[in-house]
Amino acid sequence: MKFSELWRLSSTVYKEVSFQSIFSLRAGSGLPQSGRRDIKQLVSSAKFNTLISKLVTSVFLAIFAITVFIPILFSDMGPSIPREIAIPGGISAFLTVVLFLIVFMGLQMSTSFVSSKIVDVLSPLPLSKRDISRIVFLCFLRIFDIPLVSAAVVFLAVFFFIGGSVLGGIVSLTGIVVTEIFALTLTVLLAKFFYAKVARAGGRSIFQTILRFMFMLVWIIPTFAAYFVVNFAREIVIAFATLTQGLASVSQTIVLIYPFSYGFLVSYAAFLSKIDYLALSLSVVASAAYVLLAYYCLRWVTGTVREIGTSAVTRSAREIVKDTIIKPQIPWVGIIRKDIRVASRSPSYASLFLLPVVQTVVLAVTFSSFSEIGPATALGLLTGISLLTLLLPPTLLSIEGLASAYTKHLPLRKRTLIAAKTLVATTTYIVSIIILTAVAFFIGKDFAAIATFGVIHTFSVAAAIMLEITILLRKFWKEGFAVGNIYSRITTYIMILIPGYIFAGIPMALAFLSFFLLPAFVLPVFLVAAAVEFALMTLVVLYQK
Amino acid sequence: METIAVRIEGLVVSYGSFVAVENLSFAVKNGEIYGLLGPNGAGKTSTIKVLVGVLQPRAGKVEIYNTPISNEVEAKSQIGYVPEEVVLLDSLTPREFLEFTASIRRLDTNTVNSRLERFASAFEFKQYFDTPIAALSMGNKQKVAILAAMLHDPKLLILDEPLIGLDARSSKILKELITFHAKKGGAVIFSTHIMEVAEKLCTRVGIINKGKLVGEGTVDDLRKLVRSAEGSLEDIFLKVTEQEAGMQDIIKALEEE
Repeated sequence: MKFSELWRLSSTVYKEVSFQSIFSLRAGSGLPQSGRRDIKQLVSSAKFNTLISKLVTSVFLAIFAITVFIPILFSDMGPSIPREIAIPGGISAFLTVVLFLIVFMGLQMSTSFVSSKIVDVLSPLPLSKRDISRIVFLCFLRIFDIPLVSAAVVFLAVFFFIGGSVLGGIVSLTGIVVTEIFALTLTVLLAKFFYAKVARAGGRSIFQTILRFMFMLVWIIPTFAAYFVVNFAREIVIAFATLTQGLASVSQTIVLIYPFSYGFLVSYAAFLSKIDYLALSLSVVASAAYVLLAYYCLRWVTGTVREIGTSAVTRSAREIVKDTIIKPQIPWVGIIRKDIRVASRSPSYASLFLLPVVQTVVLAVTFSSFSEIGPATALGLLTGISLLTLLLPPTLLSIEGLASAYTKHLPLRKRTLIAAKTLVATTTYIVSIIILTAVAFFIGKDFAAIATFGVIHTFSVAAAIMLEITILLRKFWKEGFAVGNIYSRITTYIMILIPGYIFAGIPMALAFLSFFLLPAFVLPVFLVAAAVEFALMTLVVLYQK
Repeated sequence: METIAVRIEGLVVSYGSFVAVENLSFAVKNGEIYGLLGPNGAGKTSTIKVLVGVLQPRAGKVEIYNTPISNEVEAKSQIGYVPEEVVLLDSLTPREFLEFTASIRRLDTNTVNSRLERFASAFEFKQYFDTPIAALSMGNKQKVAILAAMLHDPKLLILDEPLIGLDARSSKILKELITFHAKKGGAVIFSTHIMEVAEKLCTRVGIINKGKLVGEGTVDDLRKLVRSAEGSLEDIFLKVTEQEAGMQDIIKALEEE
């Protein structure tokens, strides 16, 4: 089949996958009770949301390039780090960010890729296996098209902006293409492994539970890595410089490791007059080897990506079942258990669940360099974590949409649902506070401010979560919590988050105000504001039927 | 006095400007198996979805054992529902899914487990208890929905095309369960396209066409309605839904091709 035909067919497949990513239709959410025109509107909003998601990744890369990458390349790293060390370090950091951001984005999309079971639809058609593989691969490329192109454009733009040569540009382009192929490979590898080994293992054993938890951690590694490199690019380059400026053998070993081999090679090809021929030769050999590896990866991805688009990926080996005993819990515990079980088998939910904890780890690393942690620092840290935690309620509620065409008939009270979701979201906040306090304790900093303000602010965050869920329930209880219903309207999403942020911010604002006006009353003011919010929202929730 | 299990009056369901169900009224008593029949897109599933609280009506009164459907928790507690398109929480296993529904319904562990053991054995389903729902066949997914519908021993069973995908043995068991449920004094609303099943199983049938109830009663009542003493329910159905006219011409045209 001609490439143009394959490309055209992949467009249809891509539309279906992007539609699935927003609506999870086959997961039974059911469309809102709308007419044909409304459904068309939803389809176009699905396309719009997919586009936005790609653009966000691209803009993020551009911002990273402008705020972190360029300053590093301009050797704004202090006198101890020469430019010939800063450049390979900065290039390596950029390639790492591209790698992990694309993997992160790919993992979010893989759920819809699997749920679309698109290969099952294509297989009965008169198409060869090879053509199906190529169509699915092209569709997979379409998912990443804008970020892949923009990563290359941003990288080359920065490279020429700082005065790189044409030869260096060619090497840079090779480096970024190899990186992108590695990212796609890692995405498919993780997705395949997850769906083949974890999602389809339904077992009850503790071993299976531990295995699922371990894989949840594996899933968030790309998220964590991207976040970490973005936040600590300068520190990473400094550490890299310290290593390479030390022993020559260390420097020669690093040259062999991806992405540093490209970092060195680009820097040699473009900027440096002082050449270490051994390091140059090693980086050329290593880079060539990575090109070869990328070629094989590309071949593997083309053949394998088909597998995650078939229903066979979720087929499971049957286990020996000893009994049919179930252990019903009280309703809100039942909901929490269900949410955790669903999240532990769905990469996109798992990573969102763990995002606040990831951010806390990054924050903990950051504040280890602070001289002291007073109320102002504590409030600042808590603001950051609460902003991320308050993104959770719409995601948590969208789990209810997964089979809402069925579960909506269950006799579930609104207040039970609010209590369950609030508890889950608040727990992630509490875990963050515990991590921060523990880190402060272990590095010998004063942890009292974080612990005290954290515990009090938990009530305010819980109130904000209750508020967000109450608003969501008012809007979507009748219509259904289909992912599409919540996410297809960005305005709705924003209008839910803003009140939540305001609620969580009120005690902060009052505490800051008190800090300037009545410093002795910071804690009481903070406590009263949080307690009032919590009491108010508890009353509102209890009033729900 | 007979207890009314379901009362629908003047029901209107619309999707945007399209009216799927128009001014529909009927009632189902305890001990009855009420068959809801109609061609594709007639409004059967929309009616059923309103009854179980999945869809919001534009107008009309819907009561389950004298409880308005707006009183959601109380009304829904009395219903066991098998949807037409069985889409459950695919990542869970049947055990986890049933545990979730049993939790929402606040069921007692001992009672629910003895019921579950019986039903799982009856449908030969025990072996699939720890297999993710996503990996089950359509028939086995249907069985999960049936188990979930029976788990709380509901007074009212609402089954939308429940025989689709079931093997002969499971179909037979389900039909027996439906009959037994009605004999015990429960009520059943049952939608199907298989006229023979409806004719054998249902106490009364209601035929919906283009969102309106065009015929209702026992099969004998409907025979009188279409003035056909011998006709099967299928013949009656085709007449009532105005699908009989031109049928022979269409079949002939297909044969000639």
